[in-house]
Amino acid sequence: MASFGKATLRVAKNYTKGYSDVQAKVRDATSNDPLPPSGKQMNELAQMSYHQQDFVEIMEMLDKRLNDKGKNWRHVYKALVVLDYLLHSGSENVVIYFKENIYIIKTLKEFQYVDDHEKDEGANVRHKAKDITNLLQDDERLRNERKNHTSMHGRLNDGHP
Amino acid sequence: YPTRPVDKDKAEQELVVNIKKATSPEESAPKQKHVRKCIVYTWDYHSSIAFWTGLRVQPILSDEVQTFKALITVHKVIQEGHPVTIKEAHSQTGWLETCSRTVGSDGTRGYGPLIRTYVSFILAKLRFHRVRPEFNGLFEYEEYVTLKGIDDPNEGYETISDLMGLQDQIDSFQRMVFSHFRPSANNECRISSLVPLVKESWGIYRFITSMLRAMHRRTNDMEALEPLRSRYSSQHHNLRKFYYECSNLKYLTGLINVPKLGTDPPNLLDNGDAPNLP
Repeated sequence: MASFGKATLRVAKNYTKGYSDVQAKVRDATSNDPLPPSGKQMNELAQMSYHQQDFVEIMEMLDKRLNDKGKNWRHVYKALVVLDYLLHSGSENVVIYFKENIYIIKTLKEFQYVDDHEKDEGANVRHKAKDITNLLQDDERLRNERKNHTSMHGRLNDGHP
Repeated sequence: YPTRPVDKDKAEQELVVNIKKATSPEESAPKQKHVRKCIVYTWDYHSSIAFWTGLRVQPILSDEVQTFKALITVHKVIQEGHPVTIKEAHSQTGWLETCSRTVGSDGTRGYGPLIRTYVSFILAKLRFHRVRPEFNGLFEYEEYVTLKGIDDPNEGYETISDLMGLQDQIDSFQRMVFSHFRPSANNECRISSLVPLVKESWGIYRFITSMLRAMHRRTNDMEALEPLRSRYSSQHHNLRKFYYECSNLKYLTGLINVPKLGTDPPNLLDNGDAPNLP
């Protein structure tokens, strides 16, 4: 019930705050809902990142999510998950943008949030930030992983796994 | 200027608040979210002037905890901020000296000696960076710097000696932090100063290891490098002990991975790469 209420509220917020469809999709994929972003959602965002206007809107919303406060650690964590996916199969512009702004990710390596039950929720963010920082700093690995991803994706789409 | 969607006026207002909160009177760690905003600001605007100005107008010098938290914040911003931060820090040495002069001889909560030692370490670090601007704030490994050093063995020798000098200063500072723990308190504020020290000592250690290896490959004069080898070996043991003691601090291991060093120092005569990040 609670999550249903929140989801409804998010829809209303997308509308009242004047978020575009693209931004609403990013907000849905990186919401406080405990489920991880779905492959379908991420794939859709990756495809949209090839269009310049959509790309700008995606980056704008991801930036907001990545810089959210501790209580919303899920926003931050899921934004990192989406970013990881985009780095693998989104447009090259995503790579360029985040190499240039790597400090946004790097400084999340010490992200802290301990919830009311003393659970260290920040750990998820710290690990993911470390992984992505390493990936962004390793050009060869990034190139290979992007290539593998494309060919795998191509194979799946052709129906020849 | 930045490619991120930002608003400069808003960023500057927020920066003032972030500095104030990072250096609040509570005896706790400077909150990372506020330190992070200071670091991000220097990258967004390629400038740290507003950070230094903001720090200087804070009334922190009358309180030893606030002064100590300011030094931790400064250290982290120098380490991880835009490279221009180190350059601009050179003109802040007067303020740093004031920090160590103003604090009472012992301070009521025992931060006096810690503050004075921290200031002299930061000043030494700034002197190092002034002479060798090719190193970044965390001494992150870059192959070209190593090569630059070994093309001129004298230059390489001096660089390594200077790096070892900094490493010794980190070591004596961390010992002092540990000896100032209070059994009754949670010590979070003191422990949080160890975080940037672990990172920096690790960066220096990796650098020294790979530079020494490269120099051994290039030279036939093993004798000449002997003083560096024995100093390297003793620093290895000190660092191992430091990391071991850190690994028992739950608060600290929750924040960063503390490296674990082997019993013996790495062989400098083989072709191994720099030790990997933990």
